[in-house]
Amino acid sequence: MSAFANVLLGGIFHAAVLFLVAAGLQLVFGVQKIINLACGSFYALGAYFGVTFIGWATQLGLSPWLIFPGLILAGVVLGVIGPPIERMLRTVYGRDESFQLLLTFALVLMFQDVFRFFWGANPRSLDNAYLIYGAITAADLGVPVYNLLVIAAAIAVAAGLGALLQQTNFGRILRATAENRAMAEALGVDVRRIYMVVFTLGAALGTTAGALVVPTAAASLDMAIEFVVEAFAVVVIGGLGSMRGALVGALIVGLIRACAIVFYPEFEVLAIYCIVIAVLLLRPAGIFGRALA
Amino acid sequence: MKARQAIAAAVIGIVVFALLPLLVPAYYATLMIPFFGYAIALLGFNLLFGYTGLLSFGHAMFLAAGAYGAAVIAGVFGIRSFEAVLLAVVVFAMVLAVPIGFLCVRNIGIFFGMLTLAFGMLFYSFLFKFYHLTGGDSGMRVPRMNLLGLEFAQYNKIELLAGPFYYYCLALLIVAALLMWRIVHSPFGLHLRAIRDNARKAEYVGVHVHRFRLAAFVLSAGFGAVGGAILGFRIGLADPEIVYWTHSGQLVFMTVLGGFSNFFGPIIGAFAFTLLQDQLQSLTQYWRFILGGILAVIVIGFPTGIAGMVDALWRPLWRSKT
Amino acid sequence: MTALLETQNLSKAFGEFRALDGVRIAIAPGELVCVIGPNGAGKTTLVNLLTGLMQPTAGDVLFNGKSIAGLGPVRLAEEGLARSFQLIQIFPQLTVQETIATALVSAQKKRWRLFSSVNADREMNLRVREIAEIFRLGHRLDITAHTLAQGEKKLLDVASAFALGPQVILLDEPTSGVSTAEKRAVMDILIAAGRQAGVKGIVLVEHDMDLVATYASRIIALTGGRVLADLPAAEFFNEPNLIAAVVGKRRGH
Repeated sequence: MSAFANVLLGGIFHAAVLFLVAAGLQLVFGVQKIINLACGSFYALGAYFGVTFIGWATQLGLSPWLIFPGLILAGVVLGVIGPPIERMLRTVYGRDESFQLLLTFALVLMFQDVFRFFWGANPRSLDNAYLIYGAITAADLGVPVYNLLVIAAAIAVAAGLGALLQQTNFGRILRATAENRAMAEALGVDVRRIYMVVFTLGAALGTTAGALVVPTAAASLDMAIEFVVEAFAVVVIGGLGSMRGALVGALIVGLIRACAIVFYPEFEVLAIYCIVIAVLLLRPAGIFGRALA
Repeated sequence: MKARQAIAAAVIGIVVFALLPLLVPAYYATLMIPFFGYAIALLGFNLLFGYTGLLSFGHAMFLAAGAYGAAVIAGVFGIRSFEAVLLAVVVFAMVLAVPIGFLCVRNIGIFFGMLTLAFGMLFYSFLFKFYHLTGGDSGMRVPRMNLLGLEFAQYNKIELLAGPFYYYCLALLIVAALLMWRIVHSPFGLHLRAIRDNARKAEYVGVHVHRFRLAAFVLSAGFGAVGGAILGFRIGLADPEIVYWTHSGQLVFMTVLGGFSNFFGPIIGAFAFTLLQDQLQSLTQYWRFILGGILAVIVIGFPTGIAGMVDALWRPLWRSKT
Repeated sequence: MTALLETQNLSKAFGEFRALDGVRIAIAPGELVCVIGPNGAGKTTLVNLLTGLMQPTAGDVLFNGKSIAGLGPVRLAEEGLARSFQLIQIFPQLTVQETIATALVSAQKKRWRLFSSVNADREMNLRVREIAEIFRLGHRLDITAHTLAQGEKKLLDVASAFALGPQVILLDEPTSGVSTAEKRAVMDILIAAGRQAGVKGIVLVEHDMDLVATYASRIIALTGGRVLADLPAAEFFNEPNLIAAVVGKRRGH
């Protein structure tokens, strides 16, 4: 029973990370209608850079207790890749979505070698540095405090994004642009700037997720391309363009993975793909999405 | 594309490829084998993409059907005739494509892309996890097969690939191209293009949109299987990586590189990519970056691909003659 | 004489809003019927129901005695009912020749031929040329559709509907966007095309009363989802009150 609970918490941790990336995807898709195949690459970039950043910081005397905020900082800082990449994507905005997909795919290819160049072909890790935060043990239940911190961070981000979108002017502008770009432009919205900000925000969410995950998992070349499929499963199940969808979808995928690992290891990933296919066939809009034309 | 120009281009191409093994080292001849495989597979892929307007990010599943099919039929069942293998994998892939296609073609655009990607990854995890059946990570061996009943035992693998198998594949490509040319210029092909241009109007003109998309999907699967069988023969192995989504992405890359609005675009793209990848790999270990950069440049600046560029250069010359 | 196309107590409601209410009309062979009425009267809804795009809330639509409610555009095209829209619909990358050929391939049931060549089908190409010439596109056969002038696109759109060789054709404001000077020419083309294609009945949704007066054999006037009048043209134009009710002002002629 407790083993199950442990696994469940592991699933929620995974869901927290998935949510961060998916939230970024949803923002970008919702506002710009772009599907970013390179989201996995942003994730991996965050992970790799997280390792390096903490390595530097520790050498410069950073206390190991500050790994958590340090990683968040590393991830957020990487958001700086947002503007130049968005600039590049801008060239294909008006065109058929195939071209957008292909351009982000080109990014995936390029990023693979960027990782190879800076970090080599072997996985990099922080050697379980997260254990410094200890673990909470209560009646056979042992969960690393770090995991709880990440889950808390994800919840904070979810709340923050929710507040941003629903209660601020900026959020209103974002939603208006997502709803109807032409109208927003006609009302004086600087759509270009919005696109840049949204994309950067999405990128930063992805890189931060990667940075946060790296204490518990190694940064590797495969990460970038493996993660894409899971991230898309989340977005499809939750509904394209929906924040609530990102949250619910992430929980569903994270928990299914956790359960599958325990009960049917062979079916772990199979189960997720089957659900994605089922959702796409039966309710393409996902749980919270609006049906696209 | 006018028939006369096409025939001229094709004849030149055939002559060049026929002479190639005699002029270049065996290495380059064997390098052309995957080119032939991809070229055939892409002819089928472009029927779906360029002519029907459906972008599949899971097309590699049919290449996998070809490679694994070859492994099963020749390796497990011991039937060494390549012709039998080709026939069998084509049928297998097309049969597989019917239910998958039926489910997928109800959707278009991103949803079609995502569905096909999901199906492709479903196959990947199946091939990967059920290692008792499929060899898992290590894949399944694809043994040497007989071409037209001949064993060519006196040739080692390299000689076989650079010699008899090379010409066999060239012949397969010619047959595949002829077949596809007919299909594309038929009433059926016309309907596909109408569907691509304006599916709603096509309905009003009496075109069964879903049925035709499904048919295009199934046909493209057959071509993909032939390509996969060739790849399997060449490498001697069928492994799950063939069906990973990035391999499907590579298929799209090659097609767009060559030019998806041109009949020969896919063939040109397969050739250019094969050559580029080979040359880049010997130049630098960061060849993926350069390839990615090339794809980006093509998508941003030259969406009609190499065929489009050649066409743009050629047209003023052509016009100045008349 | 059984009606070619008829409705029986046809009603369509969108939630609370009743777009059509108890509409009963019949179109006989040889007629050119104009459906007129102010905006929001339900003309487009009627045409949508007549062409099987929607399911009626109540009542039925019969074509040659057979119910076609909600059958869908493809099946209807096969049955012999064609339609064109107000907004121009073309196949941007196909040539004029190919556009018309697409319809013919469909009508002649050659659609599943994978290995014969469209170009080599002489008989069909002659037919394409015939149709194109009626629509004044005979010299534009090799031009790609999206490069055509606006008016030519409209003609091409309608031409592909006629190319199906339907028994009944419904045209939703075929002269909209056409200059006043050209409208009559377009109408003459449509009638000639209809005759050539063997079309038995034409239904037009039209706003221009001049055209209606000149070409309609019968007029159906709709207001507020109901049939206000269903009369032969001559009778309709003898009723100034009727005209006023539909058009909104007295006509000076």
